[in-house]
Amino acid sequence: MSIDPAWLGTQFPDLTAIAPIGQGGQKVVFSAIHPTDGEVVLKLINPTHDPENARREVLAVINVQSTRVPKILDQGTVATSFGTSIWLREQRVNGKTLRECLQAGQFDTTKLLKLGLHMLEALVAAEQVHIVHRDVKPENIMCDGNDDFWLLDFGLARHLHLSSLTATAAHWGKGTPGYSPPEQLRNLKPNIDARSDLFALGVTLYECATGANPFIAGTRDALERIRRTETVTLPPLSLSFTAANDFRDLVQTMVQRRFDHRPATAAEAFDWMKEICAKENIT
Amino acid sequence: MDIYVHVGMFTRRFGRRIQQHFGERLVELYLQFGYGMMEHCRSLISQWGGGTAILSPRDLNDEQLSRLAATITKLPSGRVLLDPQFYLPHSDHERLCSHDYWPKDYQTHEFWQGGQALTDLLTKLNRLNQQLGCTEFILPGLHAATIDDDWLETQRAIMEEVDARAPNMPVLATIALSADAVRNQDQVALLLERSEEWKPRGYYIVCEHPNGRYLADDPIWLANILDLAAGFKLRGAKVILGYCNHQMLIAAATKADAIASGTWMNVRSFPPDKFRVAYDEEIKQRTTWYYCPQALSEYKIPFLDFANSRGVLQLMAPPKDLDGGFVTALFGGAQPTTVGFSEQAAFRHYLHCLHGQTAAAMRQTFDETVDHHRASLATARSLLTQLQAAAVRGQLRDFTEILDVNEAALSLLLTTRGPMLRRRWATL
Repeated sequence: MSIDPAWLGTQFPDLTAIAPIGQGGQKVVFSAIHPTDGEVVLKLINPTHDPENARREVLAVINVQSTRVPKILDQGTVATSFGTSIWLREQRVNGKTLRECLQAGQFDTTKLLKLGLHMLEALVAAEQVHIVHRDVKPENIMCDGNDDFWLLDFGLARHLHLSSLTATAAHWGKGTPGYSPPEQLRNLKPNIDARSDLFALGVTLYECATGANPFIAGTRDALERIRRTETVTLPPLSLSFTAANDFRDLVQTMVQRRFDHRPATAAEAFDWMKEICAKENIT
Repeated sequence: MDIYVHVGMFTRRFGRRIQQHFGERLVELYLQFGYGMMEHCRSLISQWGGGTAILSPRDLNDEQLSRLAATITKLPSGRVLLDPQFYLPHSDHERLCSHDYWPKDYQTHEFWQGGQALTDLLTKLNRLNQQLGCTEFILPGLHAATIDDDWLETQRAIMEEVDARAPNMPVLATIALSADAVRNQDQVALLLERSEEWKPRGYYIVCEHPNGRYLADDPIWLANILDLAAGFKLRGAKVILGYCNHQMLIAAATKADAIASGTWMNVRSFPPDKFRVAYDEEIKQRTTWYYCPQALSEYKIPFLDFANSRGVLQLMAPPKDLDGGFVTALFGGAQPTTVGFSEQAAFRHYLHCLHGQTAAAMRQTFDETVDHHRASLATARSLLTQLQAAAVRGQLRDFTEILDVNEAALSLLLTTRGPMLRRRWATL
């Protein structure tokens, strides 16, 4: 789906400086400036994409009341040459994705712990409204200029109180091999809850601590990543700071293959993380 | 979460000292009642200054149950629990079926469909528990050959009925598993997952040993029991492991509340068939064994003669803090087979040692507890090497091959549950 920014300007006359910043299979994303909201992101959902998915993404972000999740400022539909597209105008986060940050190597202690703290804060907010993000990974986390972290893209969010949009009989569930936990990859729906996001965040933290994701490094394809996720036990982190052993334990617990071996809730993991950060004077 | 402090379980001789040193929570040894244990229960609980016996309807008729319960509960800090042994309801074990609570006509389908029969069973058991003065109500639970939907439904039905009855004492759900079920990690995970909905005060777990072996040589079997116990503990439940021998001292690493053991092998491991028909192993196979606690191994008395002749007998004497005075004669200089070491002394010595070992097994932190168990295994390994060099062996009760099993199970527990146990140890 290709959208001309100039044409977009005619459809959204209150926006200026519209410029493309990304495109995926499901959406096209632009940056823009809004007279009252300032810098914003405009997302247009591909009309061929199931509108219920888009509706649920919007619902997820609206429901997840977290300062670590960019807010949806407005929404609507617009007629495009591809069909009627749902659009979202969101708070814009200026910064880099975690994937871009990782190109500079593994994170220092402060950045690593802040990442854990901020993302768990977001996951607690999601847990409180029974939403599972299902796609926590470096590509979906932004780091802004203050080294604050933001959780993006609720496009795969699962609303535990709504019927699933993934076919029950589907062999594979939605997610990203290398980050998603076994129960999600295997589409074991009854087993998917906040603990699935804890796994993905644990892997992300592990990657940021070491500079590599052992479920992905050197793999041939997604199937090999899935096999590793289901069979490889990550060696405990070896870090050196005051609360390093506590952090090692938290990450080790989060990346357990069996969901009942992980923290029971995101809130429990968040409390643990807050204690670790307190020892390191990180807020 | 309730905090249970069974102050009555500590021995007068060393229990309180251990309690003061390591904190207020200890793993306890319960006495698993079996054939010929009446006097052992009375004597040991009296000697220990308190304790808990798990009564066995299979081995006691109604009158004996009442009499023994009364005897024990009259002792200072003496407590009783009743294992209803409803593992195999189709059983035609004469004494088991003679109890009033046992259904006269058990039809599987009707029984678990919310009919009167389950209500009657629980009502009668509740009454019996109260009559006996039990402090907790062990619920009936079927033996699971496989942990599947059918078995889980029977467990759910019991929980639902109990919730409706609201017995006036804490309830413990029975989890009785076949060796194959225990070995299956997926089934254990399923049990942990589905039991999240159950809300008993605790669990009474009894597990069949793999291949009927007294000492389990299967690390996955042992690791899965530890996983189950730790999973329930981390949920805030009490955990009692029934039908144990000293191999299950490792359960301290899960902060299990108690292990239960007794005299003969059939109360130190869980043989389901014992509850199906009359079972007379205790009559046929009478051998007296000496338990060497620091080797975690048992020896037939003629092997002590041999150890004496090889000059290693004194290495096998119990350390002072575990010596209840039952085995003094064996190490007094005479040939051990000539000192008249009795079956009664052997059992009391075993249980007394195990009582001391359980009391010492749990430490202030998870890591200290794991270190303690590893140190025990290292001590045993060293001594067993010395004894084997002198050709002194415990035969089927020698722990040599089991050391690695316990090490392996502990290692898996460290990887899976370790971080969470470490974090929450003080609150469990």
